[in-house]
Amino acid sequence: MAEKLRIAILGCGAITKSRHFPAVLAYPDVQLSALVDIDIKRAAALAQASNVQCRVTADYRSVLGEVDAIINALPNHLHAPIIIDALNAGVHVLCEKPLATTSVDARACCELAAQKNLVLAVGMNRRFQPGTLILRSVLEEGLLGTLQGYDCQYGGSYDWETTSGFYFSKTKAGGGVLIDYGVHLLDTLVDWFGPVVSVDYQDDDWGGGIEANAVLDLHHRGKYGDIHGLMRLSRTHELPNRLLVHGSDCWSESPASDTDVVLIHRRLAGQDVIMTLRRPQPNLGFRSNSFYKQLENFVRSIRGVEPPLVDGWQALSIIELIEQCYAHRRRIPEPWSEPVDARTGVSS
Amino acid sequence: LNWLEKRIFVTGATGFIGGRVCERLVQAGAKDVRALVHTVQHASRIARLPIQLVPGSLLDRTSVREAMGAAKIVIHCGLAPARGILSTTENTLKAAAEAGVERFVHMSTAAVHGLTPAPGSETEEATLPRTGDHYCDNKGRAERLVNSFQRRGVPTVILRPSIVYGPFSAWSVRLVRELRDGKVTLIDNGNGACNTGYVDNLVDAVFLAVENDRAVGETFYITDGERVTWGDFIRAHVPMLENAPPLHKISKAEVVDYYRRKPGLIRGSIQQSGQLLRSRELRLLLRRIPAMERVQTALWAWMQSQPEERRERIRARFSSPDNPAAETNGNFFMPEEVTVATQTGTVFFSIDKAKRVLGYQPRIPFSRGIQLVEQWLRFANHL
Repeated sequence: MAEKLRIAILGCGAITKSRHFPAVLAYPDVQLSALVDIDIKRAAALAQASNVQCRVTADYRSVLGEVDAIINALPNHLHAPIIIDALNAGVHVLCEKPLATTSVDARACCELAAQKNLVLAVGMNRRFQPGTLILRSVLEEGLLGTLQGYDCQYGGSYDWETTSGFYFSKTKAGGGVLIDYGVHLLDTLVDWFGPVVSVDYQDDDWGGGIEANAVLDLHHRGKYGDIHGLMRLSRTHELPNRLLVHGSDCWSESPASDTDVVLIHRRLAGQDVIMTLRRPQPNLGFRSNSFYKQLENFVRSIRGVEPPLVDGWQALSIIELIEQCYAHRRRIPEPWSEPVDARTGVSS
Repeated sequence: LNWLEKRIFVTGATGFIGGRVCERLVQAGAKDVRALVHTVQHASRIARLPIQLVPGSLLDRTSVREAMGAAKIVIHCGLAPARGILSTTENTLKAAAEAGVERFVHMSTAAVHGLTPAPGSETEEATLPRTGDHYCDNKGRAERLVNSFQRRGVPTVILRPSIVYGPFSAWSVRLVRELRDGKVTLIDNGNGACNTGYVDNLVDAVFLAVENDRAVGETFYITDGERVTWGDFIRAHVPMLENAPPLHKISKAEVVDYYRRKPGLIRGSIQQSGQLLRSRELRLLLRRIPAMERVQTALWAWMQSQPEERRERIRARFSSPDNPAAETNGNFFMPEEVTVATQTGTVFFSIDKAKRVLGYQPRIPFSRGIQLVEQWLRFANHL
């Protein structure tokens, strides 16, 4: 292996431009060997904008023999097939979430990575956010008392600067708000509270489309015992955008607006107070960014220093859970859309 | 129904009306619906449906032609700013003519008669005036364009709704927010004609316009057919909120007088913005336009620059006796000129022709429509 890890980024869309590309440029132990995109102009523009000397190509296969690792930031349906190609070429993979659009594909990726003894890490960048790490410690230290459950609600008008628009194609995205955004939340919740032993799932897919709203009633069983949680997700309207974890002594709030902190709400001398938990750390610019931390973990895994924080197997378990949700989905009632006259679809 | 088996092309599908058209088509069993999507980020609502989302722009003729494909029915709810209203309609009509469509339903607006329609405009026979408002005049020109294509053999129908409300409507979303903030002012006691049209009633009319051959070449006002005033519309939203602050009251004469004495930037900005009024997206956008912000800022700054004594007099003048605080949360609130224009009309449009020719019957009365709106507002976390 070369002194610096040679890396290629596949897919030069929004997430690469704003996150993976800056992370690779900032991280000292990697060298960007290639930018790959089906739209070669997009790849070239990205390289040019930052004055980066690297190969620019539309053919990912041609770079697999020249790199040690790839970041797969292609549309969801291209994750699994290209992971398989990369692993077969002896290349380590950091894949954007979700690992695959089906559990069968995700499992095939995990098994191949194990067989080839290569790193397969999955881009659940939220795990690297300071607030997520603080909350993990809050739970481990028992700061909230006996855990009673959680409530998380995330929603807003969809505003991701998608380049390819694949998010609204069922075959390309694999689903809607649950697989796109819920996958992050489920990953952290399962990490903290253990596997989901039962789930009640509702969404607003009318059949053959992709859901914009999802409501989950989850039951975990893990090291904190049985934990019950509610999750609400929306791409059509604003929700409070926070996770609350309720304990017997107090409750925590993780606001989406500030992923560096955890707020602890409690009573003190008969008064409601809020304690802000934040790591005292110097501002390291992009090096504090969760995508930088994620890349660092990936590189250190390849170097054998530490395991990937989120490996393929963990991601597989979340995809299985999402599949279970979709398989047993019920429609969110939309009484304002019903009832309907069978003849014309006219409300009566 | 036969037409539901055919390919149906919907423009403006990511909008409030077009989105509901798509939903209703699916509910009615349409098998081949193509929805034009300009801004993919806005497609969340219709991406839930078993329809085909086709990327494209109404401003690009080739793109419209490709997106429309071999559609037999076109429901044109799409919009663009200012003259874009004309070019988008022309592009869609040309593509429809080439495709040999069997029906082209054009979503126009009763605002072709201006934001404050003159008495005499109650029926479709009234001649369109030049209103001086970009939106209204361009929608009027678009109607003439539609009729010219009709004469060339495209079977078109023009529908003119007025205040379309329902789930996903920005009218209600904005109203409950402003009610909560105590920023709603009844102009002339809310006596102005509102001409509500529940969105499903409008979609009924769209379907009837497709089904009924007698509709071809005709223009129809489509409302709920009830004499709902702006006061009724606004007050119907008040009980949805707990402890909504009281409504302000002001007379049209006072507002007009106020703006007459504040010409220049304010008048100009508001007139230019009038065209944006009826589009949900554009209306939301309007709030981000620097000029609009400047209007409000200018009003506020002007108010602040006045001696306290004078401010008191102004406050007293703009306040009704039962509501002495026209100044709310430190923000002086004066209805925008377009709001005044929209909410002080006296004309209730007649739906007699729609009933007679289309067989239109508004099935959802206002009282029921408001209940459905409330259910959706609660679901969507607006209440």
